Amino acid sequence: MATARGKGTVTSLSSTFPAEEARKAADLVNHTINEKRSELDNLRSFVADNTNLINLVQRLPDELHHHIQVPFGKAAFFPGRLVHTNEFLVLLGEGYFADRTAKQTVDILKRRGQTLESHVDSVKAVIKDLKAEASFFYRTAEEAAEGLVEIREELSDDEDSEGSQEKEDAASEPEVGIGSSAAVLDDEEYARIMSRLDELEKEELEEEEEDEDTEDHRDVTNGEDFNNSEQSEVQHHTKVLSDSISLPNDADKSIHTYLNLQPNHKDDCSRGKDILQKFVERPMEEDNVPSVVKTSFPSESRSKSEVYVPAPKPEVGNQLSRQVKTDSLKAFTGSIIERTDNLQISPDREPINQPSNSQPSKPVSRFKMQRRGV
Amino acid sequence: MASSAAMRDLQRELESKANDLRKLQKDIAKNHEIRKKYTVQLGENELVLKELDLLSEDANVYKLIGPVLVKQDLAEANANVRKRIEYISAELKRLDATLQDMEDKQNSKKEGIMKVQQKIQVLQAGKAKV
Repeated sequence: MATARGKGTVTSLSSTFPAEEARKAADLVNHTINEKRSELDNLRSFVADNTNLINLVQRLPDELHHHIQVPFGKAAFFPGRLVHTNEFLVLLGEGYFADRTAKQTVDILKRRGQTLESHVDSVKAVIKDLKAEASFFYRTAEEAAEGLVEIREELSDDEDSEGSQEKEDAASEPEVGIGSSAAVLDDEEYARIMSRLDELEKEELEEEEEDEDTEDHRDVTNGEDFNNSEQSEVQHHTKVLSDSISLPNDADKSIHTYLNLQPNHKDDCSRGKDILQKFVERPMEEDNVPSVVKTSFPSESRSKSEVYVPAPKPEVGNQLSRQVKTDSLKAFTGSIIERTDNLQISPDREPINQPSNSQPSKPVSRFKMQRRGV
Repeated sequence: MASSAAMRDLQRELESKANDLRKLQKDIAKNHEIRKKYTVQLGENELVLKELDLLSEDANVYKLIGPVLVKQDLAEANANVRKRIEYISAELKRLDATLQDMEDKQNSKKEGIMKVQQKIQVLQAGKAKV
């Protein structure tokens, strides 16, 4: 019945599970269900007997003696009197008996009732399972009778790669979404997701930067002496990097503050400024780095900026103007002072490179995205 | 002629194997029944043990031996029940082992029967061609 065509196989269900056989199996299961049902009924009658007995035993010691009909043989009764109403000889099972009072007997009976209940529950569970099985068999039989077919296709390699391509596309989409999210202003949920994304990005970068910075870090820890301008430049650079990103504690804190701030800053502009603040604040705290240092930047920073910022200059210029704009929006001193300082000292390239250098690749890309969004 | 003789042999083999399998299945069913009985007894004994543990030291305990109730020491009764539980548990383990063994045998027998059936089919196909 199976037909192999190219990649997949088509098998009619009735060839693997003939309808007749499936129905037979279902009937078999139904039979066992009925057996279990009778077992359950039996157990239920036991439970009823037990509760009746408990009631009786509880009532017996109320009187000193009871008038009863005593069975004599199979068919005959004669009147009698039941005395010692508080003494019971209880069969514990396996031929063991014990002398008990009415109260103790009731306790024993109650315990027995509990075991019976658990038995009832287990049988009920079994019946439920069997029912599911039976319904499955019946459905299979029905499907087989209807002529349902089973189709199997193996996933080939090129299909797989296509799938991954799609995945990549899907992954890159949210990044674009971040840029265009300027349009979606008051979506707090979205902001939270974005902040989470940012956090992840930062962590990623952290790991990347950590590798590059380990040597520089050693320098930082070794000496505070600013004898060599080159060294101090490196130090400044790494401090910025490490403060903003790689130092675990500080970075965490900044991320957290950023996260806290995030929902409040609803428009993207202020958000960008916020990030800027995070990154640019550090050089400010680094008490007045000598201007000479800045001039010595290009040697290293240029190469780095080439790695990090493949974007053309006009874009960077746009960045600058944006920064000015954000500063004008909110009286934020940190960035503006740093910026103007740089501008005064060196011609266009260095100050432009410097922030982009101090910022890792991802935030820059965020600016790019911002621009795209705007 | 030769093929028909071989066929007859095979069919005889199949029959004997089927008989063996039937016997094995009967044994397995019997084993299952015994096992069930023992499990019930084990449950009962455990209940008795629980009740005996709950009894106070000076309680009167009797054992039904034949038609008479014989008074027994509580400690003695306790020990007896414990021993009985141990015995039943061991017996259950043994039954499980034999059951496993028999099921393995059953499976191998089934496989053998399948093989013989296939042989017969091949022979029949050959006959049809000739």
